[in-house]
Amino acid sequence: MSDRIFGGIGILLAAFFIWQATVIQESPFSDVVGPKVFPIMIGCVLGLSALAFVLKPDPAPIWPPAARLFEIAMAVAAMVAYAIVLPDLGFVIATALAAAYLTWRLGTPPAQALLVGALTSGGIYLVFHVILGLSLAKGPFGF
Amino acid sequence: MLNTHSFRKGVAGTFVALAMVGGPALAFEPEQPECIAPANPGGGWDFTCRQVGKSLQDQGLIPSTMQVVNLAGGGGGVAFAEVVNKRNDDNDLIVAASSATATRLATGAYPGNTMDQVRWLASVGADYGVIAVAKDSPITSLTELLDQIKADPRSVAVAGGSAVGGWDHLKVLIAAKEYGIDDVRAVKYIAFDGGGEAVTQLLAGSVQAFTGDVSEAKGFVDSGDVKVIAVLAPERLPGEFADMPTAVEQGVNAIGANWRGFYAPKGMSDEAYDYWVAQIGTLYASSEWKDVMANNGLAPLDLQGAAFEEFVSKSVASITELTAEITK
Amino acid sequence: MDILASLGDGFVVAFTLQNLGLALLGCFLGTIMGALPGLGPSNGVAILIPLAFTLGLPPTPALILLTSVYYGAMYGGRISSILLNIPGDEPALMTTLDGYPMAQQGRAGEALALSGVASFVGAFLATWGLVFLAPQLVKVALLFGPAEYFALFTLAFATLGGIASTNQAKAAFAAALGLGIAMIGVDGQTGVPRFSFGEVHLYDGIDFLVAIVGLFALSEVLVFLEHRGENTGADAAKKVVIGRITPSFALLRHCTPTMLRTSVLGFVAGVLPGAGASLGSFISYSMEKRLVDRNGTFGKGDPRGVAAPEAGNNAAAGGALVPMLALGVPGSGTTAVLLAVLLALNITPGPLLFTQNPDVVWGLIAALFIGNFMLLAMNIPMVGMFTRVLMVPPRILMPIVAMVSFVGIYGISGSSFDLLVMVGFGVMGWVLRKLDVPLVPIILGILLGNAMESNMRRALTISDGDWSALVASPLSIGLWLVALVGFVLPIVFGRVLRQRMALAKLKEEEGEVID
Repeated sequence: MSDRIFGGIGILLAAFFIWQATVIQESPFSDVVGPKVFPIMIGCVLGLSALAFVLKPDPAPIWPPAARLFEIAMAVAAMVAYAIVLPDLGFVIATALAAAYLTWRLGTPPAQALLVGALTSGGIYLVFHVILGLSLAKGPFGF
Repeated sequence: MLNTHSFRKGVAGTFVALAMVGGPALAFEPEQPECIAPANPGGGWDFTCRQVGKSLQDQGLIPSTMQVVNLAGGGGGVAFAEVVNKRNDDNDLIVAASSATATRLATGAYPGNTMDQVRWLASVGADYGVIAVAKDSPITSLTELLDQIKADPRSVAVAGGSAVGGWDHLKVLIAAKEYGIDDVRAVKYIAFDGGGEAVTQLLAGSVQAFTGDVSEAKGFVDSGDVKVIAVLAPERLPGEFADMPTAVEQGVNAIGANWRGFYAPKGMSDEAYDYWVAQIGTLYASSEWKDVMANNGLAPLDLQGAAFEEFVSKSVASITELTAEITK
Repeated sequence: MDILASLGDGFVVAFTLQNLGLALLGCFLGTIMGALPGLGPSNGVAILIPLAFTLGLPPTPALILLTSVYYGAMYGGRISSILLNIPGDEPALMTTLDGYPMAQQGRAGEALALSGVASFVGAFLATWGLVFLAPQLVKVALLFGPAEYFALFTLAFATLGGIASTNQAKAAFAAALGLGIAMIGVDGQTGVPRFSFGEVHLYDGIDFLVAIVGLFALSEVLVFLEHRGENTGADAAKKVVIGRITPSFALLRHCTPTMLRTSVLGFVAGVLPGAGASLGSFISYSMEKRLVDRNGTFGKGDPRGVAAPEAGNNAAAGGALVPMLALGVPGSGTTAVLLAVLLALNITPGPLLFTQNPDVVWGLIAALFIGNFMLLAMNIPMVGMFTRVLMVPPRILMPIVAMVSFVGIYGISGSSFDLLVMVGFGVMGWVLRKLDVPLVPIILGILLGNAMESNMRRALTISDGDWSALVASPLSIGLWLVALVGFVLPIVFGRVLRQRMALAKLKEEEGEVID
């Protein structure tokens, strides 16, 4: 069943892709083929292959229970939040928090998780910023 | 004559040295000079940033190392938007630019951005366009090539390193138009990822002609693999490039230069603006920079401050006009 | 003899204390950057350019430092592929296929050591190729026009079948998905934006590093989260088994033909501008699988499946230097960066580089030999150290992997938008893994999509829209035939072969009849 739903989504995606390809604004200068043909070819392959596993699905995988799905969603939310606050909060603090959260959710006691988070953040800062000289997000305190 | 000249130079040098020793004597000095190259490492903009940054530091014109930041995206559009929207009052920042920047501003390829949203600092040289063919090609002059295109546009494929409608493409169209080919859109142009790839395909025989910059063709001209049939410069280039005929002397009044230079945020203080204009100007005048230009096939283009601003404005206007005319 | 004398001069140039020190530093930093997800050879080299300039290095030492980083990163990429199932950089993608299963079977040490040796063989042979064949190989690169490149890329996709997935339709779906993602951004041919929905950040397309790190590293974190606490005891104990840390002589001998074949293949792929190391390792793996995988062990921890892509991608790294030095055309992202360095040092690569700057070229080649031996000497003893990574419990290791991935991407692009896209790829990777859709074809699609399309359009523009131009030269016909055979054979004979394989397993002696 999973494959059928997935295939359905794949076909919709392919249709959307082909539709988007047809509405590409062409510039007054163009080559013989133009910017639309290749994407449409890809869209067709995408749609046909999706159709193939709608018709011939594999056995469905075991999906995690709802609680676990929620757990995964929270981890994703934490990563998204990290990406958004990184430029404002600065690298060290944001990374320590995000790493601590993930460590905690993967089964480390909270206090230990905070410590691991801080060490992870500091270690990465040392390697990437101090040694390799990459510019990381500065934040209000300069790190 | 010679003496006064070098004397003046000596005095100027002393002043620069004094200013350096004096430190705060300058009205402005960047704390962390930064140059944004609006493309990935390896392209012309990246080269401009790194080469100028290195030379400025070597000559003691900036107090610390120029940090080069690659901010690729949208053919320079991401960097342009970043400077306009987020770093508008940054005094330590300069951004590499070229004819490609002007072309994209002219054709509206940076959505919502115009050239007067930034301040134009100075140019550091120009790369004149060339049209070349492979060494074993039967074509020996620009007029022969254009005659062949006129007779049968399908028989000549011209390769260049910019996208269709980009600067390398426009250069051939300018020449074709000047030669009286009316439907310039029939000219067959093949876009490659950079001039190097385009020259390689010329050598491979996939295409019949190449349009690009002097610097892109130089190595292959030296080795004798390609022959330049026209330089799009007002007169012959100096030194080792003097053998290349210009388009003008063949009766095709086409001139096309790819200039390189810098812009800065609009909100930059006047002191900072003057500082950068002066430092880049001093760099341009130095003999070290002359060597860099000679090594890379860059031709002189000495414009600073207001003069450069006017130059960019004119070239944006003329490209707008040209594309409108060609595509109408 | 002339060449050897020049090479001797090169060694004289390279053998100074300073240069050896720089090579050592470069090899070490390169290995680390290669192993860290998100940092690969190209940005590794780019990051160290300022260092080379700040030290005020003259051309030859600067090049020695940077090419050592390049070779080091090519060695380093395999480490995280094998230990964590996360490719450290794009050429190490194929190493995950057999390297990670080997690690799971408790043969991590062996896999690392073997891949180290394979990397050495590939790079060593490629450097000799660079010495003797560079001028001739340039001619090979010139045989490839747009139509031939298109055929070559099609071949890469046609031989996809069966790699890492049992379901052909899903492999095709994944490839199309990757190609579709590659279409996002400004069209390189005409400059019009496609699939970017007016978002400026999408104008330059989606960086394959963002995709690779999201699909592999972040989805791995989600997989761990999903299975947290499910299999403690027995499984956790098994993880720590590292196995022997030197490969047996028998194993090396078993893999030698594979390493030799794939070195040649990888080198040739590297020489073609635009193909590069990823294609080198990919073609090496899929060809080797076709050739020697008689019992269907590839993808399940076959040592040859580790040796093939590693020898291939390191050989391709050497090969990619040929067009860069001799034509001034970068064959890969990394050589594009190296090219920029050469230009900044006032050296113009091109047909005359070998005659105008022989000290630079031969010093560089000598440095490659030196760096290569250093890397081998450094990597074999370090296997024990690397495998210790596996002793770190996943609940601590996985967040570190996630954060390193974020930093790797943010440190290069400085854009939160890329981080969000990366999280999106992480979720997508998790779902696709659940559904048994292979991830490798997606990355290949993203890597090759634009080049594939551009070359098709160039070929058709040159021919005025005549599609037969795609099969006009003997070379392109040859490539199409290989592609066709590679695509059709597994489908038509798949069933038959599988039956015969089962038979062959029963009766050992039948194996010889089959090959």
